Parts: sequence; structure tokens; C-alpha cells
Amino acid sequence: MKKRILALLLIVSILAFVVGCQQASQDQPSQETPQKPAEEPAQEPAEEPAQEPSSDEKPYVAMIALGYGHQFWQAVRQGAENAAEEFGVRITFEGPEEETMVDKQLDMLNTALSNNPAAIALAAIDVEAVTPILKDAKSKGIRVVGFDSGCGDEAESHCSTDNLQAAALAAENAARLLEGKGKIGIVGHSQTVIDAVQRVDGFVEKIKNEYPDIEIVDIQYGDGDHLKSAEVTKGMLQAHPDIDLIYTSNEGACVGAYNGLKEAGKLNEVILVGFDSSAAMKEAIRNGEIAGAITQDPVGMGYKTVEAAVKLIKGEKVEEFIDTGCYWYDASNMDEDHIAPLLYD
Amino acid sequence: MTRTSDKPSKKINDNKMTSSIRDRSQIVIILGIYILMILFFFILKPNYLSYDNIMTILLATCVNGLLALGVSFVIFTGGIDISVGTVMTFSSVMSGIALNNWGLPLPLVILFGFLVGAFCGAVNGFGVAKMYLPPFIATMAMQMITKGLSLVVSGIKPIYFTAAPGYQNIATGYFLGIPGFYNAIVILLVIAVIAYIIFSKTIIGRFALAIGSNEEATRLSGVKTDNWKIAIYSLCGLFAGFAGLIMSSRLNSAQPQLGAGYELEAIAAAVIGGNSLNGGEGSITGTILGALIISSLTNGLRIMSVPTELQSAIVGLVLALAVYFDKRRRINE
Amino acid sequence: MDSKVLEMRNISKSFPGVKALDDVSFDLKAGEVHALVGENGAGKSTLMKVLAGIYSKDSGAILINGNEVKIESVRDAQRLGIVMIHQELNLMNHLTVAENIFIGREYKKKFPLFLDAGKQIKKTREIFSELNIDIDPTVKVGKLTVAKQQMVEIAKALSYDSKILIMDEPTASLTDSEIEDLFRIVRTLKEEGRSIIYISHRLEELKIISDRITVMRDGRYIDTVKTEEADIDDVIKMMVGREIFVKKQEPFKNEDAPVALKVENLSAGRMVKNVSFHVRKGEILGFAGLMGAGRTEVARAIFAAENYESGDIYINGRKVKIKTPNDAVKAGIAYLSEDRRRYGLALGMNVDENISMANMKKFSKLLFIDFKKSFTNSQMQREKLDIRTPSLKQRTKFLSGGNQQKVVLAKWLTRDSEIIIFDEPTRGIDVGAKNEIYKLLNNLAQQGKAIIVISSELPEIIRTCHRVLVMCEGRITGELIGDEIDQNTIMQYAIKRDINNGRLSS
Repeated sequence: MKKRILALLLIVSILAFVVGCQQASQDQPSQETPQKPAEEPAQEPAEEPAQEPSSDEKPYVAMIALGYGHQFWQAVRQGAENAAEEFGVRITFEGPEEETMVDKQLDMLNTALSNNPAAIALAAIDVEAVTPILKDAKSKGIRVVGFDSGCGDEAESHCSTDNLQAAALAAENAARLLEGKGKIGIVGHSQTVIDAVQRVDGFVEKIKNEYPDIEIVDIQYGDGDHLKSAEVTKGMLQAHPDIDLIYTSNEGACVGAYNGLKEAGKLNEVILVGFDSSAAMKEAIRNGEIAGAITQDPVGMGYKTVEAAVKLIKGEKVEEFIDTGCYWYDASNMDEDHIAPLLYD
Repeated sequence: MTRTSDKPSKKINDNKMTSSIRDRSQIVIILGIYILMILFFFILKPNYLSYDNIMTILLATCVNGLLALGVSFVIFTGGIDISVGTVMTFSSVMSGIALNNWGLPLPLVILFGFLVGAFCGAVNGFGVAKMYLPPFIATMAMQMITKGLSLVVSGIKPIYFTAAPGYQNIATGYFLGIPGFYNAIVILLVIAVIAYIIFSKTIIGRFALAIGSNEEATRLSGVKTDNWKIAIYSLCGLFAGFAGLIMSSRLNSAQPQLGAGYELEAIAAAVIGGNSLNGGEGSITGTILGALIISSLTNGLRIMSVPTELQSAIVGLVLALAVYFDKRRRINE
Repeated sequence: MDSKVLEMRNISKSFPGVKALDDVSFDLKAGEVHALVGENGAGKSTLMKVLAGIYSKDSGAILINGNEVKIESVRDAQRLGIVMIHQELNLMNHLTVAENIFIGREYKKKFPLFLDAGKQIKKTREIFSELNIDIDPTVKVGKLTVAKQQMVEIAKALSYDSKILIMDEPTASLTDSEIEDLFRIVRTLKEEGRSIIYISHRLEELKIISDRITVMRDGRYIDTVKTEEADIDDVIKMMVGREIFVKKQEPFKNEDAPVALKVENLSAGRMVKNVSFHVRKGEILGFAGLMGAGRTEVARAIFAAENYESGDIYINGRKVKIKTPNDAVKAGIAYLSEDRRRYGLALGMNVDENISMANMKKFSKLLFIDFKKSFTNSQMQREKLDIRTPSLKQRTKFLSGGNQQKVVLAKWLTRDSEIIIFDEPTRGIDVGAKNEIYKLLNNLAQQGKAIIVISSELPEIIRTCHRVLVMCEGRITGELIGDEIDQNTIMQYAIKRDINNGRLSS
């Protein structure tokens, strides 16, 4: 009995400790970025309809994302809220804490639908699982928009980054940095996730088709793990000491490659081109150690998704696929107004 | 008089001989396989054995090596700890909090990271010894807890150590200014020696093996096996804390989403090194060799530009073969 | 001429550092019980494991019905009709009797994957009725007594239609009436023309059950004699190569010696009911009784290996609280379990490590082991107890039963334990080593240690104990001192059930 109480005390004290830490980390101004809204518990949106029953003249758009906590999703949310204000709709924004929790997302979807939204915007984890639910929703006149990973054929419009296009943009810039000639190694982050595959394929296609003097000598994968990506990079340099440029397909791969280059003492010899952003990447780009990177436009994604939903509600015509855009950023433009809000720590 | 006193001491020497030969045979086999592997890569890619690449391999061994050392002690008891990867991450995240939010001086920050690791280990040990949870379950719970807490505490953002200039040098600075000779390698070496001493010279190692060999007999000998188990799991957590330091120092940041999967590689290193998951026997030298084999193998495959998906398959094959040969050796015994 | 069903010719087998079998030959006739005797380490078990396909031989030939055969696995042996019934039974406690018997070759219904449990149970019943055994095939094996479990093992062997059964110490844990049952079954098997190889240390039994006796010593074949013509003493001489001295324990002289351990009203579970007793310094107290009388449970309760519900324990007159084995050890109690391999030794560890185990505090400073000190002590114990091992670094799993027992004893002597509980001190130990253990018991008592001996072998009790407590169904039913101690009296008390209690509960 005594032991059980002890164990319980232990757990409670750990939790208390952690909550304390979390608040402490939120108070830390250096960790905040201007465009990032304060963290809110994920359950809150579900309560909102009850809070403002009087304002239900506004059409209600329920957005459900792949994830919630990552800054990417918070930026999407920011864009969506901007659009909601502009077009006069009410939105809720939810997502499971991990991008694998299919069942949680389904719960969220069902809850949202029971609140009779005018439109639903969804980035589905499992398209198959949501298809029947969406069919049912559409039969009740609810409009369906997909964003990011989309939600299959039921979507009347799909808003996301065209990763092939984004990778091609990276390739253009890489070619420019190499002045049309040289050897490239690629550090990817996944061979199974479609976005990741497209970020490599789009890059390779562009180089092969348009820059005959540039050779891609090696493609390896580091799971987006910073440490593994560093080791992968160092192995690649050992195998091909004459590599001129390394292209990486996400933040983990990029920072990993950066560390690998740094440890190998080759930061000055090899050009590094990345994808996405983080505090470490921003700093390295600012001082020129990373040549530049591609960023998606999550704010634009959120905005365009709500915009598409509003148009559908009003019965206007909407394109089937909406590219929400991407940008090349480097030391020269990263502080500009249209770029800075898209970069996160 | 002198003759009678001489006799036993001579016997002692004889005894030492027989035992070390027995233990060594296993290490020699593993070492032989390792050397063959190195030669294979060297012949195909001579720069495999370049100074830079050797250092790259050694540096790549550090995190996994430290985790493997820690988990080896638990494996000696016949237990398992699948939380080492995420405990490592959690300890580095907490170090980051200690530095950035609490403004602790760097030595305390590092110490705090170690303590967090050891504490997580102690909770594992408590669960196993006092709450009678199977080690797999207790540490799986800890894996999930630390994984979650790392994300919660960090707010799912990397925590940077830029506030402590020189933090990165802990791992990637050069030891005595020798280019390419990273501090992390020295740290691994020193800690491996400490682990070896703990294992072979102290009662912690002795009781770890005794518990693994026959826990009930050990308990009935009046040994407080519960307390020793807590101590051994804490030690494992402490080593995860060491790994957390190296990891965060190399990245100059704590990456809260990392860590899962590292435990399996650490266990693989221990197993390739000839340690039986049934407990009761094993060696620290074997564990270090196992960690070296894994990092040397992956490095070699990368240098040969073997596709990533094949690399994983080959490491798996090596693991299976290692266990197979070890089993055969044991049966012959 | 009798037909030989089995012939083993010039079998040799080496393990690293040991020649376990050296040119051994052995044969077996149809319908014969052939006993195989020898001290532990004589090579009997190794020889039989070669026959049963557990070990592979280095050289030699095995012939079945005159034809040379290859036995490379247990399956091979089974196919040839050879089955070994091990001393430690290999049954799954959670499965039923029938499931155990047909494990691995279950009867299947026509529709694949579905088991035909009914047929299995029917077949089991047939085998049992053939042997005249009364066991319910649907009962879980874990609920049976050891004797019944053994019968299940025999039935399992018969279900393979085995012609040759190897029984390794079948009576080791049986009571006398259970042994009678076993012998009846053995005779039935004989009549059916099956042959039995019977390994045992209990020579009196062999006189009753066997036809021929083969003696082995040190991995070599010594001689084969017809049982009816054999003299037990001669057999023993062949086994050990020396005469054995038998004597009854002398009476306890020091009646006024201080009481080392006093137990009052100890109760634990169903097996220990209100047990009170004491033992003096220098005294050897015996616990006799049938299997399941609760003697081991008393010892385990005192040692806190299992929790006890109530009762007081006094050491040297002072009341002590013993909640963990650690407390017991600190109080000076040592417990040598009947099951050394499970509770006594870390088999994968060496002799030195095992001897030091209970006393690491003495052999370490600030966690660091003082190897020299521990080694010196182990060496001293090795000489004192005459532990025969090639090296202190030898792993204990490679030692014979007697030497293993001595290692466990050395562990407790190192700890300076004052109260030593021996649970079946000579189980699985050969005749020669038994005498050594008895001598050790006497020496320890003379040094003033309080000794408790739990034993199922009455001669052992009579020979070693000054005073005997007899238990039956968890209670102490009698106390015998000096001349009162004899086999008949002990047995009378051992079956003295509590009538009142019996009436109440029924």
C-alpha cells in the first residue's frame, strides 16, 4: 500500500514538474516567433460552437489537419484565421498530436460533422478511412476541401504545395549556384512518404532534363534524423570527395547535412541547399553556411483552403488543384515581409 | 612455510588463465569477423581506412555505443530497456530547459541532464523490481512517457544550446587540438573503461550477472536484488544521459522528436557483441565491439553508395548471423 | 540365447576438458530391467543422453535388434522406440494430461487445424487402463503430484510405442507407496516385452526391480552382474572403489546448550499450520515426513523466501522480524534448498562467484570487489570441504551434484551462518559424496552450529539427527529423541492425520 502511494506520488510530481517546465518554456520570449499564436489545448475548438450560438449567421468551416503541435500547422491555422476574418466565416482548427493517429482524426472529423458545418477542410491521415464519412457529409450538402495531404477523390478542391514544383525550384537555384556545372549528392528523409519522394524526384528530373553538365552522384536517406543524416553526409563525402553541392529534402536532413559538413570541415567547400526551416537553418543561411532553402507557404495554404471553402459554399467555381506555393529563401531575402512569416524556429 | 603459501597463489594464476581463455574465445571470434569486414571494405574502397573516415566511424559510434553500454548492464540481469533512446532525448531536452529557461551554468546543466537520465532509469528499475512489471512493459511505458514529455516540455521545437558557447565543442571539439580527433571519441573511450571497471571489478557487475544467472538463488543468498536492479536500471539511464549530452552537443540542440529506434540499435550492438538476452553472461568489450561493427558496417555501405533500403537489410542479416554463431558456440560448449 | 534389443559398443564422448565416456559398452535384452548405477559424474546420464539423441557420440556404434542405427536427434531416438524420462520432468503444467501426452502430434479432425480432443482423451484412457493407472486425462498436469506426473511421462513414452524406456532416478521424489505403484507399472511394461534402463542411486530398490546391474565409474564401464546373484555391498564397492561406513547418530550430549532458533506458532498458507519448535547450538534437528507434509514450506517461511502469515521467530532468545531473505541471512540463518539448481546456485557463474555471493560486503570496498580476499576464502573453503573442481573459475553447472551442494554450503559457511537448514542435503548426490556430506553435518554441529535437516530418506534422518520432528499435513505430529528414532515410529507419526480437523472440514 505504502509503495503504491509512493508510486502515485512519483507520477504526480513528475507531471507537476513537466507542466511547470512547459509554462516556463512558453514564457521564454526568445522562443516565440511573431506569427506563431500561443499554444492552445486541442480540445478547445470543439467547445466553440457552444460558446457563440448567437453568431451562427456566419458559415462554419471545420478544418482538420494531419497534426497540430508543429509550427507548420500553426502557420496553416494562422493563414486560415486570416482568411476567415476576411471572408466572414467562422472556423475551427484541429489535428491529432501525432501524424499517425488515424482514429483520433476520425473522432475529430465525426465531432466536427455533428456540428453541421457548411464546409469541411481536411488533411487526411488515411484517405480510405475518411472517404465514406465524407461521402455521407456531401450528401447532406457539406462542401469538402482537401489540403496538404488532401482527402482523396471526395475533395471538390485540393490545396497543397506542389512538391515536384518546389523541388524543381530548388534544382534551379542549385544549378544557378553551381553555374550549370558540377556534382550533386542528395540526402533525402524518406523513401515511402509521397511528399518526400516528390521532393527528390522533382529535383532529379529538373537537373536531368535541363542541366546536362550537372551530375547527381549519390542519393542516400537519413530518415530526417539529424544525427543519421550527418553520418550519411559524411559517408557520402568519403565516397565522393568531389561533391560540389548537397541537396536535402527536409529540415532534419538539412541540419544533419550541415553538421556532417561542419564535422568534416567542408562547410566552405560544399554548397548546401535545404528544404523547410528551423532556427538552426535560419542562422546558417543568414551567415552563408547554407546557401538557401525552399520553404512551403503554410500561411498561404491555410488562406487558400478557407478561400476555396468559402467559394464552394457560395456556389462559385473552384479549381480542382490549387498550388499554395513555395519560395526560395536565402540570406538576401529571408527578412522580407512575404518570406519572414513563413520561416519558423 | 613458504612452499605451502606459494601453492595456492600459483593455483590462482592458473585459474585466471583458464577463465580468460574461455571468455576471450568469444571476443576473438567477434574481433575476427570485424577485421574481415574492415578488410573487405578497405579492398573495395581504400579510403575507408583514411584517418578522416576512421574518425567519422568512431564519432558515429559514440551515441549508440553509450546507449549500448548502458543497456548491456540491464541485459546482463536478463532484463531489457527499450526506453534508452527516448530517455536520451528527454535528458537532452531537460538540459536545454535548464540552460535556456533556468539559466543554470553549463556544468550544472550537464549534470542535470545526467540526473534526469538516471532518474528515468531508477523509475524503470522501481517498476521492474517493486511493481513486478515485466522489464519490456516497464521500459515501454517509460519510452512512451519520455517521448511525450520531450514533446510537451519543448513545445515540439528544437531547443538550442546557443546560449552556452562551446557546448558543441564538448562532442565535436578536437581533443588536445588533434585535428579530426573528436572529444566525443575520448568521452566514449573513458566511459567504456569506466563501464568495464564497473562490470568486472565491482559488485554491481557481479550482481548484474548473478541476477541474470539465477535471480531467485541470488535473492535467497540474502542479496537485496530489488535494490540492485533499481541501481542497474539507473546506471542504464545515466548512460542514456551521457548519450544525450553527446547527441545534443553534436547537434548543438535537443531534437525532441528524435530518439525512437535508437534503443533497438543499442540492443543490436549488445547482441552482436555476444551478450545473451537471457542474461547471466556477457562482456563490455563485446558491447563496444558490437557498436563498432554496426557503425563501421553502415559507414562502409554508405561509402559504397549502397542504397539505404539495402543497408538496413544487411545490418539485419549481420545481427541474425551474429546471434546464430553465438548460439552455435554455446551449444558446442 | 536372449535377443538383444539394444547394443551400445565402445561409445566415447568428450566435453571440453572432460572425457565423459571412455569406450563404454552396454546391452539390453527384451523384457528386461537393466539398472545402471554409478556415482554422479560416472557417465550414466551422458551414456543415456547419447542413446536418447540428446548428445552425439564421438565414436562407437549403436545397434538396435542387431542393426547399426544413427541417432542424431531426440526424434531419431523416438522413431527407434527409445524414450528417456528425465529426473526433472518435462511436462507443461498448464496443459491437461491428454494434451501433454500428445503434444506435437495431436489428433486432428478431418477438417485441418481442428484438434480432436475427444479422441485424444480416449487414447489417453486406453493407455492408462493398460497400465492400471487412475488419472483423469482432462486434469491440468500442474495439479498432479510428482508421482502422478511421472506416470503421465511414462504414459507419454508408451504412446510413442516405445520399446526402450530410460528412467533417470524415477523414485527420487516418490513416497514408498508411490514407489510400489511405479514398480507395478514397470512390471507390466516388462510383461509386454518392453525393456527398461533404470538409473538409480537407491540400491535397495534395484534388488527388487532389476534383472541386471551395470556399474560405471569415471566414464568407464566396470562390470555387469545379475541382480539375483549380486551383493549390494559389492555393487557399492564397485561404484565407489571403497568401503562405506554406516552408523547411527550418537545422542546429543550438550542438552543445556543455548537455544539458537525458536519458532512459535508459525503458520503459512495451507502447508504450515501452527508450527512450534526449537533447535540448540550443536544440535542436528531432523524434519521427517512424507512428500507434501510441509517441511520445505516451514523452512522457506522461516527464511522469508515466502511470506508467512503469523508466528514469532527468536534467534538466541531475541525476537527477530524476518521479512526478506536478506533479514534471514543477517540473522545468521542459511538455507540450502532441495532444488540447488533453481534456488541455490547461479549455474552460469563460477565456483568463486557462487561462494562469495552471500558475502559480497565482506569481499568489497566501496563497491570494488576484493578479488584476492574472495579468492583466498574460496580456496580455503574448497580445501576444507574438498570441493572437487578443476578450477575455482569453473562454472558451477559443470560440477557434480555433490560438489554443487558443497559450493552452496561454502557460500553459507563464508557468511558464518549459525543456523543452517539443509533441505534434502543429499538429493541427487552419489553414495560416496553422501557420506562426506554427513561428515560435514557432524563437523558443523560440533563447531556449535544449529543444524536443521529436512529429508525424505529415513536412513538419512536416522543417521544424522539427534532429534526428529515428524510432520504430517502441515503440522508437527511427533517429536523423537535418541533411541525413539527409528523407521517405524517415524512412519507412524508421518501418517498421523489430524482426525478432528479432518471431520470438521469434511
